[in-house]
Amino acid sequence: MSEDMGLIVKTMARATIPLIGIFGAYVIAHGHITPGGGFQGGATIAGAGVLFLIAFGLREAEEHYNHKLYSVLEGLGGLTFLGASMLGLSVAFFYNVLWHKGGVFAGEPGTLLSAGYLPIMNLAVGLKVFTGLVSAMMAISLYRRWKE
Amino acid sequence: MKRTFGALALLFILGVLLIVAHPNYGLKFGLGGKEWQGYRYTDQYYIEHGIEEVGGTNIVTDIVFDYRGYDTIGEATVLFTAIAGAVALLRRWREDYE
Repeated sequence: MSEDMGLIVKTMARATIPLIGIFGAYVIAHGHITPGGGFQGGATIAGAGVLFLIAFGLREAEEHYNHKLYSVLEGLGGLTFLGASMLGLSVAFFYNVLWHKGGVFAGEPGTLLSAGYLPIMNLAVGLKVFTGLVSAMMAISLYRRWKE
Repeated sequence: MKRTFGALALLFILGVLLIVAHPNYGLKFGLGGKEWQGYRYTDQYYIEHGIEEVGGTNIVTDIVFDYRGYDTIGEATVLFTAIAGAVALLRRWREDYE
């Protein structure tokens, strides 16, 4: 039994994986304007990774998966989230200083560059959730103990 | 018979809880005295003040990342710890390399 699925499934996966990725990126980037946010968008992009693993098989997915890179990206996402929450530490933890003091991220509410640190946090949480879920998926599928 | 009695008892307890927790004629407790409703039911406050205080038009994101930011930090920590534990438990051990 071969590991990957047939030609039809692979072709469909090639067509839909970029669309799923674009939709997830949209949900993350517009997290402070429309419904959704970092967690939901990150989980959507991780769903594209699951589709890749199912359609193309474990060997193909292992070639495209770099454990060090994903670990670094997950840590980077968490630290960015923590750093953005500490920006207004002179007033309080989780004080939205980028919004109250003005600047680039304090545009009209409803535009993309508004809401202070919320877009930064959405990006960080989305990156963290995406890399974390893909790492968990690859760990579960790679390190199984039973023989073929 | 016993099952019917148990179901009726559960229904009775649910009804009592619904009356006790009702904001108009239920129990009043917590901060605030006369203004107790403003301290216990914060949803209207978030809807009215969320855009000017935090800036996002998505009120859920305002609550999750600003008003309840500690909760989100804990959630991110839980996710990180779960994945670290999964990788640490499932990785190859020494006797697996032969």
